[in-house]
Amino acid sequence: MPEFFTQIGTFISGSFFQSWALWALTNIPGFPPIIQTVHILGIAVIMGSGVLLNLRILGLAVPSQGITEMTNRVIPYLYVALISNLVSGSFFVFGRPTRYFNNPVFAWKMLFLFGAIMLTLYFVSMHRKKAGYWEQDNRKGLARCIALLSLGLWIMVSLSGRWIAYLEHLQYPIWSF
Amino acid sequence: MISNFLTSTIWLDIEEWQISWTIGGTNWFPLIESIHVIAAAMVVGTILWVDLRLLGLGAIKYPIKTLSRELVPWTWGAFIIATVTGLGMFITRAASHVLNPAFQSKIVLLVLAGANMAYFHLKLYKNIERHEKETAIHLQLKIAGSLSLFLWAGVMLAGRWIGHII
Repeated sequence: MPEFFTQIGTFISGSFFQSWALWALTNIPGFPPIIQTVHILGIAVIMGSGVLLNLRILGLAVPSQGITEMTNRVIPYLYVALISNLVSGSFFVFGRPTRYFNNPVFAWKMLFLFGAIMLTLYFVSMHRKKAGYWEQDNRKGLARCIALLSLGLWIMVSLSGRWIAYLEHLQYPIWSF
Repeated sequence: MISNFLTSTIWLDIEEWQISWTIGGTNWFPLIESIHVIAAAMVVGTILWVDLRLLGLGAIKYPIKTLSRELVPWTWGAFIIATVTGLGMFITRAASHVLNPAFQSKIVLLVLAGANMAYFHLKLYKNIERHEKETAIHLQLKIAGSLSLFLWAGVMLAGRWIGHII
């Protein structure tokens, strides 16, 4: 675990971020399952925007939608969902920061998330530069590589997100079934 | 009658199945649960576009029929995966799940969401091209779209709440 990562946890621990998050989690009735649902609905929007766009680029879904038009249409949804999930996720991370910033699965999740966001930003910035950038024949291969990698990263973000909580309770090594 | 069904010993028998023990006592459970979350998110993520289109809020360039034809197979595929993984988790604690109010609510909401979808596809879908030509989106389509959004969000909330009660 990198030193700076655990230090973020120590920094948040005891700060007003933590007391604020803990206040909401303990005092608002039903807050934990509600905010978790908001987080999962955010994942649903990411599935319907970023992941569906990846599937479109790979030629697997929504063939009638053009890549350029679809990118313009779905990217704002992806950004809103990411910001929403940053907020909904923060309640849990701020509530128990040392737990999260010492958890290797959380660190992996952040790494996968960083990769997925960077790929998205690269894809979008090239798309903005020139209309139809990713629809030109010589760039289709690269677009598909980005889409496949990004699809894998989003799945890993979701998988590792779910496993953060399990890591502390596993009675078996993580790869044993 | 319904309480006899819910307290039947059959649920305890299900928990005793070898497969229930294998899932519940190993890493199969978190793996199946993760797949369930991803599949459920895909169900809602694809339905979302049809709903937004019905409300006139998104993808308005595309005919409802085209969107529905291209997205519904993904919805069904993801729904089947979510159902299989959901059943996989259910059998590990069947007797307590059937008595769990969150689980019961989830089943009711799923049935309602299914009924809304069936009404849309069987009744409204027939006249959809005529409705689309009208300048304003038909009220029934708007109602079906917003009901779908609320019901699926409710399914997610009830589903997430199951883990907080058990």
